[in-house]
Amino acid sequence: MTRFVAGKGVQYALVLLFAVTLNFALPRMMPGSPLIFLAGEDVGFMTEQQRGQLLQAFGLDQPVWRQYVIYLRNLVTGNLGFSYQQGRPIASIIADRLPWTLVLVGTGLVVGTLVGVAWGTLAAWRRRSALDVGSVGVAMFFDSVPSFWLGMVFIAVFAAGLRWFPIFGATTPGAGLSGWPLLVDMARHLVLPLTTLTLITIPGMFLIMRYSMLTVLGEQYVATARSKGVGERDVMFRHAMRNALLPVATVFMLNVGFIVSGATVIETVFSYPGVGRLLFEAVLARDYPVLQATFFIITVSVIAANIFADLLYPLIDPRVRHV
Amino acid sequence: MSESRAIDTPLFPPARNLQPRRRRFRLGGVGWTGLTLMALLVGAAVLAPWIVPYDPGLTTGEPFESPSGRHWLGTNDVGQDLFSEMIVGARISLSIGFLASTVAISIGTLVGVVAGYFGSWVDAALMRVVDIVLVIPFLPLMILLAAYLGPSFWNLILVIGLLVWARPARVIRAQVLSLKSLDFVDAARALGAPPGRILRRHILPGVLSLSLAQFILAASSAILIEASLSFLGLGDPTAKSWGSILYYAQVRSAFLTGAWLWWVLPPGLLITAAVLGFAFTGFAAEEVLNPRLRR
Amino acid sequence: MMGRARMLALFVIGLLVIPALGNAQSAAVRMAITRDEGYLNPYTYQTGYPGWNLMTLVYDPLFYPDENNEPIPWLVREVRVSQDGRTWTLTLHPNLRWHDGRPLTSEDVKFTFEYAARVTHSRWTPTTRNLDGVDAPSPQTVVFRLKQPDAGFRLRTLADVPILPKHIWESVTTVAAARAFTNTVGSGPYRVEEVRDNQFYRLVANPQYFAGPPRVRELILPIIRDATVSFTALQAGQIDTTVRTLTPELVAQFERLPGVKVVRGAGFTSTILQFNDEHPLLKDVRLRQAIANAINTNLMVRLLLLGYAVVGSPGYIHPASPFYAAGLKFDASKARAVALLNEAGYTDRNGDGIREAPNGTPLQFTLLTLAGNPIRIRGAELIRTWLKDVGIGTTVRVQEDAAIIDQVWPDFDVCKGRRFDMAVFGWSAPVMSRPTALVDLFNSDCRVGTINIGGYKNPEIDRLGSQLLTTVEIARQKQISAEMQRILARDLPVHVLFYPDTIMAYRSGAYDRWAFQKGQGIVTKLSFVDRPK
Repeated sequence: MTRFVAGKGVQYALVLLFAVTLNFALPRMMPGSPLIFLAGEDVGFMTEQQRGQLLQAFGLDQPVWRQYVIYLRNLVTGNLGFSYQQGRPIASIIADRLPWTLVLVGTGLVVGTLVGVAWGTLAAWRRRSALDVGSVGVAMFFDSVPSFWLGMVFIAVFAAGLRWFPIFGATTPGAGLSGWPLLVDMARHLVLPLTTLTLITIPGMFLIMRYSMLTVLGEQYVATARSKGVGERDVMFRHAMRNALLPVATVFMLNVGFIVSGATVIETVFSYPGVGRLLFEAVLARDYPVLQATFFIITVSVIAANIFADLLYPLIDPRVRHV
Repeated sequence: MSESRAIDTPLFPPARNLQPRRRRFRLGGVGWTGLTLMALLVGAAVLAPWIVPYDPGLTTGEPFESPSGRHWLGTNDVGQDLFSEMIVGARISLSIGFLASTVAISIGTLVGVVAGYFGSWVDAALMRVVDIVLVIPFLPLMILLAAYLGPSFWNLILVIGLLVWARPARVIRAQVLSLKSLDFVDAARALGAPPGRILRRHILPGVLSLSLAQFILAASSAILIEASLSFLGLGDPTAKSWGSILYYAQVRSAFLTGAWLWWVLPPGLLITAAVLGFAFTGFAAEEVLNPRLRR
Repeated sequence: MMGRARMLALFVIGLLVIPALGNAQSAAVRMAITRDEGYLNPYTYQTGYPGWNLMTLVYDPLFYPDENNEPIPWLVREVRVSQDGRTWTLTLHPNLRWHDGRPLTSEDVKFTFEYAARVTHSRWTPTTRNLDGVDAPSPQTVVFRLKQPDAGFRLRTLADVPILPKHIWESVTTVAAARAFTNTVGSGPYRVEEVRDNQFYRLVANPQYFAGPPRVRELILPIIRDATVSFTALQAGQIDTTVRTLTPELVAQFERLPGVKVVRGAGFTSTILQFNDEHPLLKDVRLRQAIANAINTNLMVRLLLLGYAVVGSPGYIHPASPFYAAGLKFDASKARAVALLNEAGYTDRNGDGIREAPNGTPLQFTLLTLAGNPIRIRGAELIRTWLKDVGIGTTVRVQEDAAIIDQVWPDFDVCKGRRFDMAVFGWSAPVMSRPTALVDLFNSDCRVGTINIGGYKNPEIDRLGSQLLTTVEIARQKQISAEMQRILARDLPVHVLFYPDTIMAYRSGAYDRWAFQKGQGIVTKLSFVDRPK
């Protein structure tokens, strides 16, 4: 057990170190100068000396290894750096974005999982029926649909066409709403991206749950229960479903790690101000520090979710005991 | 959206759990659907130059024409025939899918076999690399490479390939591990057969068939990734893939002008059909070819 | 009795004033912008357009460009220029106040220019280089002493540098601190009321503005990065206007849309085919002329912009600009392109469809173009097709901004050279309105021709350029500029493809008194306040 924990620990530490180093190296390997983002588009009118001054002011003239040491030290002390572009600390930028992503992707994941589990159980129960075959087809269809395309079609039909829902953002800008009307406003902005996200989350959960149910239903103890005359409904829900939920729980927990990077494409399509979109914007804008910090947050959340899953798995499945 | 897709899950558990005959039949249906879709699209792609009404690279109408007898799906932003563009799009999108998948499966098979066969520290090291690759957020990586090399056809293939190999590597490693534990392989090793021969004679044949199934599944993912990247403007906008058709539709306001009905819906459905066709075929192939599922 | 008469008088005045006020001030206007602009103060705004324009709603420069891009006195009511053009004495309006109530005086002006010289700002620090000093002899009087006369002093310096409140900025001493400074106390017609990262800005009218209260009480600026989304939102009535120019395919549709008005005019943004004038083949002027002749810019404008653009003038300057050399234009002809190539000895000797130079090098080039700009990408594809028709091979390479800059304009420093063949490139509108544009664009000294990214060299252009730089008289500026344009039209260091029109759409129900700044659009202070008297 101790060896297992140590091994896992080393593994995650390596992943973290590698990711951190990569985070650091990738942005600096990108071509182009950060000057445009420090000084705007008129940078061409500056003298060499002024450019140097500007680079120096932001520590970009230091040797790479020193930048790296500074970077590591800052990460350890929880200082995520400063965005040249937005002129403010990155921690506060991410803090602004995080709630939106948590709401959107968190809700999408939970709703998608619940629907997927229920639907998967149903399909497995009625296995090989028209319902099962149809469900698999529908699930595979939504698994194959490009998520951005689904979002675009929703915008075309429900936002631009029928005008039921807003087209962009997370709230109506400058409306000055508060209390209940604000919540309604937020909910209206959430409907389309959330629906898109949920629709693409369900198929995975559905297929896993269904597969897992079918596996469990083939196990010896289920057959035993059946032979003892336990009703089919009880077999499904009392015996099979509880065990079948294990793989779903694992996948769910691993997905939790992706919440932060979550819905880059969907957030982009709906102009939803979350972390995924921040990542995309930062890469396009070459905002090095924001890029690094967002990478870092994503890596940490992925690893945390892995650890969480590792720790939880033996607790919820008494059959698994790591040696 | 996690970075894994549902197709990482097989449709049915190993055979011992269920009545084998009926299962074959059902999966056959899935397989045939997949094969039909695939055949149609691959056929269109291969025959594209002979079946398109117009050269989609030429301006054959006014920009932004609505569907008509002359142009069945209207024209795009520079007056090129959209119907022809979508048929030729099959070529580009499927080529990218196949080629990216080839890259991914080559790496995946190599890593999986080496890790599985040699085990111990080699295995541990390679699997750590796999873990790391699975954690890398791929969008920024894609942009980095696109920015370095220019968003070209080949770079797209290379990048998708480099991002998709890790999962097949895991599957293949597991397969190698189970093959290795088979009695006759054990016996061959005990008799001192050189690793090269064991790999060639015993391991690779068992792995290659699985690789084929993985290849089709990876191609399905690659097509979807290509579409997303092209849509975000990170693909090659001069290549007429389905994703880049959607990119132009989006940036030239197809949603506001009503053109989305003929400019956005068809390519999206084509992407879905291709991804679905490959996924179905992949499932069927895995069912037939994967001894672990067949057992 | 007195009381009653007074009340009656008040009532009558009230009747007169209230409807007038109702007319004069719109409640709130929602104008979508393209990206985050920091805190909208002079050191944190991001883009030349609309960032600078929005920032000048909060801060005032001494002059301000009017609808014709002529700099007009704004914070100043009197200007005296010495005979030699080197001493400018300005008198400020009385009663200028900062948003916090403190008076704005010549000390603030002096402080601002000294600050810009010390704390690097890409746009303003260079304009202070020609300053010998700024004096504040009295609270209302400012004296600028120039090292030498400067053709662009009014537009590039006085009408561009926003005046900073000394009492707030003097404690901010480093570039890093300035770029992180969140204070937005200015003197302009609007105060920054609310900043929501990547969501919106809310500006509120400054009723005490010296030129009269602004006509719109509140400006809401939602950030919409995606052009299509912003037009969709405009059509659906979720915003009232956007700072973006309407895309051509939407013009006809928006003109028919009830409640929406579309205004259209010349656009000073340029789209050019930039040659590397140092390239071993492209340094041959006959080859450049042949390439230009092979490109059908008329058809390009019709296909790519549905006619909403002006075909490029070979002297770079837009025909609607006061500096345009009248009558100058480029008539492309494929036959002439072929003739030019044949005469110059570029023939296809190995029969592969691509001509070779006399020394055997094939005429095969890479054409760079910006990812994320579909019109330019399509333009590059058309150029590729047309050049192929005359036997010139091109490979279109679509790359990201930073990657393009890295090859075309490394570190934004033309002294660092260039490594590209051709690029579809473009310059923003303000480049066009500078009287010294042609010097910036084509002077062979990389410290003077700071955006001469093709590395073009012509002693005649250099000579005329140095004359232009120190010419203050506008008629003479135009003369020199026209002469330069005629030389450029023969030499074609760049081939100007077109200038897309500036097309602004807005909901007239929300607000209908927009000013249209020629070549740039409606984001100007003049849209919200009258020019000071």
